[in-house]
Amino acid sequence: MIEIKDFSFCYKGSDTKAIDGLNLTIQQGEFVGITGNSGAGKSTLTYALSGIVPHHFTGDFYGAVKINGLDTVEVSIEKLAEYVGEVFQDIDSQMVSSVVEDEILFGLENFGLSHDEIGQRLEQVLTMLKISDLRHRQISSLSGGQKQKVAIAAILAMEPEIIVLDEPTGELDPESTVMIFEILQKLNREYGKTVIIVEQKIMMLSQYTDRMIVMEEGKAVYDGPSKEIVEHVDLFDTLGISVPRVVRLGVTLREEGLYQGAIPTDVDGAEVMVKEVLGC
Amino acid sequence: MLKFDHVTFSYPDEDRDAKHATIKDLSFEIKKGEFVALIGSNGAGKSTISRLANGLLLPDSGHVFVDGEDTTKVRTSAIAKKVGFLFQNPDRQICQNTVEEEIAFGPKVQGVDPEEVKKRTAEALETFELKGDWFPFNRSRGERQRIALASVLVCQPQMVILDEPTTGLDYKECIRIMDYITRLNKEQGLTVLMVSHDMELVQEYASRVMVLTDGRLVGEGPTNTIMKNMEILKQAHVLPAQIPMLAMRFGDRFADVYTVEEMTEAIRGGVQK
Amino acid sequence: MNLLDYVPGDSFLHKLNPVTKLAAAFLYGIACILSNNVLMEAALIVLMILISSLAGLQKRALHLTKNLFVLGFIMFVLQLLFVRDGDPLFVIGAFCVFTTGGLSSALLMSFRIVATMLPLMLLFAITQMNDLCGALVKRLHVPYRYAFIVTTAFRFVPLFTTEFHDIEDAQKARGVEYDTKNIFKKIGLIVPLFVPLLISSLKKVDSGAMSAQLRGFHLRTVSSGYHEYPFHANDAVCLVCMALLIFVAVIL
Repeated sequence: MIEIKDFSFCYKGSDTKAIDGLNLTIQQGEFVGITGNSGAGKSTLTYALSGIVPHHFTGDFYGAVKINGLDTVEVSIEKLAEYVGEVFQDIDSQMVSSVVEDEILFGLENFGLSHDEIGQRLEQVLTMLKISDLRHRQISSLSGGQKQKVAIAAILAMEPEIIVLDEPTGELDPESTVMIFEILQKLNREYGKTVIIVEQKIMMLSQYTDRMIVMEEGKAVYDGPSKEIVEHVDLFDTLGISVPRVVRLGVTLREEGLYQGAIPTDVDGAEVMVKEVLGC
Repeated sequence: MLKFDHVTFSYPDEDRDAKHATIKDLSFEIKKGEFVALIGSNGAGKSTISRLANGLLLPDSGHVFVDGEDTTKVRTSAIAKKVGFLFQNPDRQICQNTVEEEIAFGPKVQGVDPEEVKKRTAEALETFELKGDWFPFNRSRGERQRIALASVLVCQPQMVILDEPTTGLDYKECIRIMDYITRLNKEQGLTVLMVSHDMELVQEYASRVMVLTDGRLVGEGPTNTIMKNMEILKQAHVLPAQIPMLAMRFGDRFADVYTVEEMTEAIRGGVQK
Repeated sequence: MNLLDYVPGDSFLHKLNPVTKLAAAFLYGIACILSNNVLMEAALIVLMILISSLAGLQKRALHLTKNLFVLGFIMFVLQLLFVRDGDPLFVIGAFCVFTTGGLSSALLMSFRIVATMLPLMLLFAITQMNDLCGALVKRLHVPYRYAFIVTTAFRFVPLFTTEFHDIEDAQKARGVEYDTKNIFKKIGLIVPLFVPLLISSLKKVDSGAMSAQLRGFHLRTVSSGYHEYPFHANDAVCLVCMALLIFVAVIL
């Protein structure tokens, strides 16, 4: 469980707060999407969960961030890593090996697991993410989507309860984006992982996540069920965050008095809506 | 403005992998003042084509003509005066200590008169809402992309190539960048070739679309036509923008519908009947 | 193709313990240094190429030999001009250009440098850097920290090369004349490129460090490594052969 209380953070050398009085509780097993404009504090929040803030990036830290009751300020990054695994935005620079297998082994070896346990977990994550065929490949020869899967596998192997990802699909094409979201959904539903993902693609968030947090200037300006964000389109408009076209259509039809039902989040939902409005 | 004439290109053996597509017998033409989008999944050859278009890569066979000149016969630096290139990652471009120097750098190396450089730089700073004395490297991603765009446009190219220009940007910055480009396209006839897999972006800004799969053009035509051609889009592993996709589900009923406004209008008409 | 890249393979050479490979390459080099016979040096070069061909690396070996001979040639010229032993062999007027001693010494040195370097460079073709470091940590108890630094440095070379090319492309695209024929102008133009390269490198290194830390880098102990790198009979055979080679090199 993650508990964030009155948390503010200001990077050393900066005069504005990256996070400003944030309060947040995330339960075990939630699938949470975080969105917002750049500079809203999304990355800082992910850093705070893994302890990179304040251990690696120092600065003024107020309030408390607790992971399973452990105060992130008091325990080391290594200790937190038992509970939280983080995949960074820049996929290339977080790789520590040149071969897929070694990349996954890295964390396992470091944490001093037994030989058998390491072998077992290695096989397990390779199967889980369906990347057994990539096992001996050079990382530099992989496509963006494959690299992302390897990065997730490397984190997953350490069996954290919580997985945090910072814009994992930023440079992926639509097909690979869907693939990554499917994987995250599986991890959440079948393996009970808490998944926290920072993402610009609202459409994907509203389809896959259970709960959504919208950040602006270091604060959470929306925190609620993902399905209900479609009722807050005006908030997105004020913030300048794009909403899916079908959501926009639903809202417009409602304003025109043509439709009273739920706002659709995908094309299938929109089809049902249009049929209802047209009475066919 | 840009013409590919039976262009074939492949990378040397050792570089050939998922990221480096081979181009096979590709021909197309982009006229002055057009806004064309090049779509396809990662590894389809979009980046290769954009690099062939400004002479960074030269074809193995066939010819690429920029404003009538064969890229194999003129130097890349000469092509650069006509074709600006905005990369996905602005950090590869920015190399000066202040934003002002960065913007002035392009025209300076292209031999523009110093007085003129000064004037253009000042204008660009204003248009793009940038401050001349900023240290460019620690600005936000969106600002860095804007600095990069300003440095490209200040050279007053006849054409720009945008390689996934909005990757990593939030919607606000994305709109800002695209609006500058659209304005130049409409007002000054700037030719635009945009590489992207964001279909909403393509739908909104491009007037013509070329669809690429495995280094071959599998379809091209006006944006609206392509957007409703599931066959072609499927080959390129992309889905149409949402509203055209929705419209297609209703057969001919919404044949001319591509935007939220058009859809609302059509539905209102349908209800009134 | 990078001459130091790993070439995947299944040969008995590939399967040797990485520590053995490293030791063998060194011993082979020592044999070359100890030998004082040009023919022996030439034979050692040929032998190395033959050994490489057993692992399917003849092309790489020949290519490397060719490149190393450039270095050998420079050595040859220097030795020829500066070693003044023996009788004058080539005289212009009153000036002796080179001597018999110079010639034989130059031949020996140029062959020796090629023969010595060749096995060390071929080592990289049959050994992955991470295996080498893993084995050194596990078998020779080299501190993991140093092994990690070395593997990381090797891993970064191609990354930085790509990054540099991309930066160069970006600058070319805005009209910087890297295609100029004037070499001084070109150098002047390339210098500013190091700014973006340096900045992106620093970011990459920092992010890499963060990622390593998150995955328990500091907790690592010698026994942590998953791969065992056992020694086999072949390893012993290989090392005995190398010892014999040194013996032969000394007496010939």
